Amino acid sequence: MSAAKKRGKAMTVLIDNLWWNNPVFIQILGICSTLAVTNNLTNTFIMTVGVSLATAFSSWTLAGMNTFIPNKVRMIVQVLVISFYVIIIDIVLRAYMPDVSRSLGPYVGLIITNCIIMGRAEAFARSNPPLISFWDGLTSGFGYMAVLMAIAAVRELLGFGSLFGIPVLSAAFGDRFVPWTIMIMAPSAFFLLALAMWGLKSLQESMKAAPPAAGGAKPQGSAK
Amino acid sequence: MNRNSTRYTVAFTFIVCAFFVFFLALANDLTKEKVAANRRFTERSSVLRALGVPFADAGSVDSVYEKEVTELTAGSTVVYRASAEGVPRFARFFSGPALWGTVFGVLAVDAEVGRVSGLQIVSHNETPGLGGRIDESWFKDQFTGERIADAGIRVRQGSGKGDGDSENAEVDAVTGASLTSKFMETMVNGEIAALRKLRDEGGLK
Amino acid sequence: MTPDVHPVTLLFASIFTSNILLSNFLGMCSFISISKDYKSSFGLGFAVTIVMTITMVVSWAVLKFVIEPLGIEYLSFIIFIIVIAAIVQMLEMLIDRISPALYLALGIFLPLITVNCAILGAILFMQIRSYDFAQTLTFGIGSGAGWWLAIMLLSAIRKKVDVAPVPAGLKGPGITVITIGFMAMAFIGFSGMLTVQ
Repeated sequence: MSAAKKRGKAMTVLIDNLWWNNPVFIQILGICSTLAVTNNLTNTFIMTVGVSLATAFSSWTLAGMNTFIPNKVRMIVQVLVISFYVIIIDIVLRAYMPDVSRSLGPYVGLIITNCIIMGRAEAFARSNPPLISFWDGLTSGFGYMAVLMAIAAVRELLGFGSLFGIPVLSAAFGDRFVPWTIMIMAPSAFFLLALAMWGLKSLQESMKAAPPAAGGAKPQGSAK
Repeated sequence: MNRNSTRYTVAFTFIVCAFFVFFLALANDLTKEKVAANRRFTERSSVLRALGVPFADAGSVDSVYEKEVTELTAGSTVVYRASAEGVPRFARFFSGPALWGTVFGVLAVDAEVGRVSGLQIVSHNETPGLGGRIDESWFKDQFTGERIADAGIRVRQGSGKGDGDSENAEVDAVTGASLTSKFMETMVNGEIAALRKLRDEGGLK
Repeated sequence: MTPDVHPVTLLFASIFTSNILLSNFLGMCSFISISKDYKSSFGLGFAVTIVMTITMVVSWAVLKFVIEPLGIEYLSFIIFIIVIAAIVQMLEMLIDRISPALYLALGIFLPLITVNCAILGAILFMQIRSYDFAQTLTFGIGSGAGWWLAIMLLSAIRKKVDVAPVPAGLKGPGITVITIGFMAMAFIGFSGMLTVQ
């Protein structure tokens, strides 16, 4: 591919993973473990960075190994590679960021089961060269990060009155601020996710229905 | 060689496994000491904080610890003693089951086991943002200077922001984490009972 | 240190008060997609329960007799995943040989289960909480049964919800997620019931 075509493809992948084919509200992947940590922006940020890196490196490695993997053990090898990178992330956190490792606890290990990583390995890394697969993994992680950070912002603001641990609402209103407890607990994540899906999907539909002359990237194929 | 033949499949899987496991073992080995040092740092700084011994920064933890803290062996446990504000205080590590695993912490008391000097959490596996909040300063600071009633200390549902009254022998639970809070209450009171026994046996000198 | 929980209490706790799906959010992906169909939900739930129980017990044995004696805890994730994949593979072959009819009904779900977060998640819980054999067995059965219960409930509710007049943007996954939110709230109501976890 020429350099311009490569940049074009990279751009398409970025916009696809961030918007038209977002892993969270379009593909409905990766909902599992991170719903529980999104009541807190700092933890959400670390988790989603971890997922992005794990997806990027796993896709990169698997794309590189493509021609060698026998069909029968395809899934096992994918899981092996993914586990490898997640364990590395766990080891690095435990050695160099022990406080973060403590606050995330067992959830780091559960990144392995995050459906996004497996999903991208199957859907993209299987049939694409390593470098663009790395980019695809990274941008899928960013799409995931964007939605989860938005949810976490609402949950932390309304549930704790702070953002990234810095008191905002609780500082502004002092004692009159009454934390909305449901925001700290699990069900709120579902409701907020549904609201996000509703809003963002409707926006996407109206963008697709709008006349093509209205700038912006057109969706690649159909969003699933 | 045929990529899908059985021999290739087995050989491939074996080689790939060995390759990745080798690098994981390497990574684990390289960081083992750092992880152990981190653990020792956490334990020592927790003991210092619980006892109320101040230290300037992370680098001085080891030197302050070695200077100020005496380790006494009382039977099968180790009691850490230090003088803070002219008064001798005693700390011990405790652990107990909680929602997602074991909680390890330090509880420091005065010689009569009448008042808590401080509580620190060394490690836990609770839900981040919920049960995990037992590791936040507002929760732990409630225990500093808290009077110990005959029945121990009660963890009850309060404002969720921290109980400032040091005489009521009560502290606020974590909002939304009533079970973890209950486990903490059981753990702390269990440790208080053990410390009282040690005191009666003359172990807190 | 093994927690002081009676295995039968743990069985009920893992079904209701700390349901692997509604309290711990594991196993969501297939939960959302398969619950569209009542019959498939029954099949998948059943398969998950069987796989969960067997893999739990085998993983416990591997943990006690291989991982801990050799001190290779940092490889736990990989070893557990391989155990899960191997058991699922063997189950698939076994079912195919014993009862082709059962294979037709259940077989398609088995590869899906290999990547089900609930199985690995439950095994990691067992490791973190240091359960003994009896607790592991009931925790495995309970977690699987809890997942099965949740997916049956959701597919029953979806029968009505999916044909209700829902706004376009919420149709499908949107309203399903809201439903799950309500179910999670309902299950929180169980939490005072059992004083374990």
